[in-house]
Amino acid sequence: MTSDPGAATAAICPSCESPVADGDDFCEACGAQLTATAQAAPAEPVAATATPRVCHVCGGEVTADGFCGSCGTKARTERDHWSESPSTALAAVCDRGIAHARNEDAMAMGVSDDGSVSVMVVCDGVTSAPDSDRASLSASKAAREVLLDGVDGAPAGGAAAIEHWSKAITAATAEANHAAVAIARSLGDPPEPPSSTFVAAVAPGSLVVVGWCGDSRAYWLPDDGEPVMLTVDHSLGSEMIRSGMTREEAEAQADCHTITRWLGADSPTPISQITTVEMTAPGWLVLCSDGLWNYISRPDDLRTMIADHADADNATPLTIADALVAYANEQGGHDNITAALLRHT
Amino acid sequence: MPDFTASVYQNEYLAEGGTDVHAVVSVACSGAGAAGQGEGVEAAEIIIVDTSGSMDMPPAKIAAARRAAKVAVGEILDSTWFAVVSGNTQAQMVYPLRPSMAKMDAQHRQEALQAIDGLRSRGATAIGSWISATSELFSSVPSSQRHAILLTDGKIEGESPDALPAALRAASGVFQCDCRGIGDDWVVEELRSIASALLGTVDIVADPEDLEADFEAMMRTAMSRGVADATLRVWAPQGSELLFVRQVAPTVEDLTPKGTQPSTLIREFPTGAWSDEARDYHVAVRVPTGPVGSERLAARVELVVADDVVAKGLVRGVWSTDTNLTTRIDPAVAHYTGQERLADVIQKGLQARADGDDRTATTLLGEAAKLAHEAGNEDTTRLLTKVVEVVDVEAGTVRLRQDVAKSDEMALDTRSTKTTRIKRTS
Repeated sequence: MTSDPGAATAAICPSCESPVADGDDFCEACGAQLTATAQAAPAEPVAATATPRVCHVCGGEVTADGFCGSCGTKARTERDHWSESPSTALAAVCDRGIAHARNEDAMAMGVSDDGSVSVMVVCDGVTSAPDSDRASLSASKAAREVLLDGVDGAPAGGAAAIEHWSKAITAATAEANHAAVAIARSLGDPPEPPSSTFVAAVAPGSLVVVGWCGDSRAYWLPDDGEPVMLTVDHSLGSEMIRSGMTREEAEAQADCHTITRWLGADSPTPISQITTVEMTAPGWLVLCSDGLWNYISRPDDLRTMIADHADADNATPLTIADALVAYANEQGGHDNITAALLRHT
Repeated sequence: MPDFTASVYQNEYLAEGGTDVHAVVSVACSGAGAAGQGEGVEAAEIIIVDTSGSMDMPPAKIAAARRAAKVAVGEILDSTWFAVVSGNTQAQMVYPLRPSMAKMDAQHRQEALQAIDGLRSRGATAIGSWISATSELFSSVPSSQRHAILLTDGKIEGESPDALPAALRAASGVFQCDCRGIGDDWVVEELRSIASALLGTVDIVADPEDLEADFEAMMRTAMSRGVADATLRVWAPQGSELLFVRQVAPTVEDLTPKGTQPSTLIREFPTGAWSDEARDYHVAVRVPTGPVGSERLAARVELVVADDVVAKGLVRGVWSTDTNLTTRIDPAVAHYTGQERLADVIQKGLQARADGDDRTATTLLGEAAKLAHEAGNEDTTRLLTKVVEVVDVEAGTVRLRQDVAKSDEMALDTRSTKTTRIKRTS
């Protein structure tokens, strides 16, 4: 064995020992996470399976071949289900759901070093294009880096702050698109390149700047006052609503989810639409993929559900995000589910 | 070092609400080496020759038995524990003279060959007592790999009907036994019960002239079993029901009733010693249904040698609403399901024929002809055509033949469990 941890750990998955490619975040064979977190100390080799994994269905112990030793259910890989909570106010859960074999959703949460700026990115890989799970994860992480890089020298508030962060969102979208395109290149430019939706929010204090491309959404849900959906889906469903259908009617249409904007090598407009909101009262900023809003779309319904879970003992943004994902799975989990929550006080 | 591999053939896709998972697990061994060569393993062989009075009618039978036993002794490797036993109303030592086993070397081989020349026939057939005596002999040596060859020409008549089942219960797990019936006066069911309980083969040697070659091949195979013992271990999840575990190649053998349950979710089945060979197992499990899109391990099938898992196959269930996926039947599962049915209809068809129920016999043996034809099972087709006249093989229409040699019928019955392996495209 060489003593260089970089050389020693790059070639094989620490969990199943399958070969892995440089730069992959998850093992293609078993789904184990290959890098602990973006902030992990690079000097130590990653021990991905040090603690026994627990079955998400029955609580039994997961065996080395990736199935529950009691009920036999295929264990969730870390790519199938993970959560991030970089601060007490911010948390997100990304989950495979039930009906899909792969989790093509991805997310990346971040907080500036001084804790003043929160960054949220959610990407929903397009199921019809193979390897979109890799594109969505790579895009999320790329966008988070750009937005965190924007913290240094950001204006404190006012129009200058809006302009700064709008540019940062545009740059983050471009970098996310670049990351998705790079995955397509690495695959030899397949005819149906991996692609993804994109929604990102940056919250420096009470200001929120949101950019989106596709049908992943952002909501602002003040505890009191009118809850609003900040984004307008880039989808045929939205166009139906614009042409006179009610939201309920449009969301019942088969092609409602056909998106008209996305990131990826074959996207004609890999650009975010941008909006801002001032959080003038305590409330919740929510980003999510359609795997959640398929089951709970109206802002007031979402606010009520979050408020119910926020009342529980020891509730945190993470427990509430978990509860939203669990709700979507209880409704059938027909798509991958991502819920990201920022508490503003 | 022996090398084992396991391959799983199945359609893992289940329709919504589906519960039954079928798979063929093919286990192959290479580099087995030779019997008694493993660390701490000593091999032992016993040859049991029927010397009841009927072996002299005609005298060609006892003469062939002497020659065959000598050929088999010639195949036993040096340092192997061995003994030769003659059986009639009870078991008697041929070599060594006193109830014990000798370690094979040039001198003992020579002495054994001379002793076999002295075999004479008289008395009745009491196979249960032979099995019991063989168990005792094996227990007298520090051997962990024990194998016997048993030759008989008649049905049991020198002991009570309970003697054989009791002897088999006691001998199960003590030694493996290959059984051969010479002539056509023995009972297929008796020898099949011995072979089944003692993890061996059973066959008919209709012509005494063929016995030497058969004994030579049997002993050579026994000596090539460098893996002394292996266990098939099957894990199935909580709430599931293991419907059956059957060996389906090279022969059909239902292992289900032989299973032990060392823990709640695990069943273990004895497979005996292994040479360089492949064996296929048909495993069927009924699992709790799962949500569409979910995946469950339906069975983990492992081959265990000396407490080590040497090969593993995963049988999975994946629930889907895609009928293109869920309605397919895996070709290996389909093939062996047909071969299991083939063995069953041959045995039941012959029984119906023996019972005078020609109508049932015609229907079942007709189905057998059709199945054997479809599977390309040429040996079985050839044996079948000696018992029935095939009118329309595609439809499974046959007529029972009137003058059927008893040995042909016994050959069909005995060999009904032999399967063809599926042709695999890679």
